[in-house]
Amino acid sequence: MTVGYGWYPVFLREMLLFKHKLLRVGYVASAMVTPLIYLVTFGLGLGRNVTIHGSSYIAFLIPGLAAMTSMNNSYSWMATALGLNRIYYKTFQTLVQAPIHASSIIFGEIMAGMVKGLFASALIVAAGFAASPGFSVSPIFLLALLLNCFLFASLGVIVGMRATSHEDTATYSNFVIMPMAFLSGTFFQLDRLPGYLKAIVYVLPLTHANILIRKTLMDQQAWLSLAVLVFYAAAFFFYGAALIRRYNE
Amino acid sequence: MIEIAKIRKSFGAVLAVDEVSFSVSAGEVFGLLGPNGAGKTTIIKMATLLTRPDAGYCRIDGVDVTEDPLAVKKRIGVVPQANNLDRELTAYENLLIYGMLHRVGHLRDKIEMALKTVELWDRRDSVVEGFSGGMQRRLLLARALLPEPQALFLDEPSIGLDPQIRSQLWEIIRKIRIDGRTVLLTTHYIQEAEALCNRVGILAKGRLIALDTPDNLRRRTGEFVVESVDGDGKLHQAFCRTREDAESTAAVSHSSIRVRATSLEDAFIDLTKERLGK
Repeated sequence: MTVGYGWYPVFLREMLLFKHKLLRVGYVASAMVTPLIYLVTFGLGLGRNVTIHGSSYIAFLIPGLAAMTSMNNSYSWMATALGLNRIYYKTFQTLVQAPIHASSIIFGEIMAGMVKGLFASALIVAAGFAASPGFSVSPIFLLALLLNCFLFASLGVIVGMRATSHEDTATYSNFVIMPMAFLSGTFFQLDRLPGYLKAIVYVLPLTHANILIRKTLMDQQAWLSLAVLVFYAAAFFFYGAALIRRYNE
Repeated sequence: MIEIAKIRKSFGAVLAVDEVSFSVSAGEVFGLLGPNGAGKTTIIKMATLLTRPDAGYCRIDGVDVTEDPLAVKKRIGVVPQANNLDRELTAYENLLIYGMLHRVGHLRDKIEMALKTVELWDRRDSVVEGFSGGMQRRLLLARALLPEPQALFLDEPSIGLDPQIRSQLWEIIRKIRIDGRTVLLTTHYIQEAEALCNRVGILAKGRLIALDTPDNLRRRTGEFVVESVDGDGKLHQAFCRTREDAESTAAVSHSSIRVRATSLEDAFIDLTKERLGK
């Protein structure tokens, strides 16, 4: 599998589209609105009097919101844009007909998805610094965020390649992304869950992003979560590349 | 050179292309004519790696599209039937990304030349979304020509264009032919095929039912046509080999009648009517 030079124009194309979107009024606000509502509702409202391991609830919540936001933005952009570009606008044809490898196409798309995920997460992190004076960003936090963006952008590519209509993309979001956002420990500690639910929740990649992003040291649990995230990232990447390679109208 | 051999494609129970074979030499413009649903676009898609054939093969300069797709992609340029430009990007950005994907050298100079050729240089920084249909078709052609491909595929290149713009487009295509490149185009406009194509293939219901030069297709049908309109307003045509035959046929008719030279359109309608059950 070769990524080669070809990923860069794919990435640049997405960045030019992103730049045009950023210039539109309301884009940044729309990327922030959901996590900010969660931050206000759960962090500053419901969680005002809650402490977790002696720290404020908001200090617990912000890394989870950053992971959830990175998931939503990396995934949604890829799934929606790729689906629309493939099914309706047909712009994906120009990538398929270009003399570059399928792995270059997916790598360029994933890098773009990561930028969008990191951009939205950075807004949450900035809000976190403002709302919680003790909040800090560790290298493990960044690693978790990067891996999370990579794997959910890859998942977005898979959904964008498999969807047969725009409604399909929304269905995947409703059945996979939305439940994952709420069940994977973004808003609560996973050890409070009943055993049968834990078994399901620990299969979900966002659970491991949430575990890793809150670690300050690489203990055994952190290494396990890192391994799970790397596994998902690689599996989604190779499957997405195979879907692009087998592109057939 | 483009070689298409015994190519076949079905979509479910529908046989879209049925064992079609033809080849297009370097410096030749080859036209595929056919009614809607005849399989023209499917053939282009199979030759340009968007659709996999069920059987048969397509080769570009001797390279099989399924065996070495990367080598084929370096040799082809495509103007698709449906506009697949990035509508939210400018004309310049569209060509920049395409040129980078195809690793075009001296890219900025070539973009300037391509945009000037299709008279869009002044609109280079405008977002494509605001372009008219004709401007978008011209930009698609500029984009396809940017990597200087050896084989150019034009799927309905002048669809929706006004006569002036269409004439400009034809000039560009003639120049491409002079440059020695291979052109395969599909069209609904018979006049376009007559104006541009060295040879024409006529498709009906997925099968290639005729393949020859426009002149030979006309001759095969009959060089002259006698047209008469009956009392119900229905047009009747009789094709004749010579003007004398046509005039003697016209002489025995009592209805309103005229004799004229056969056009490629007459040949096309005559060849396809049986296939289409008319």
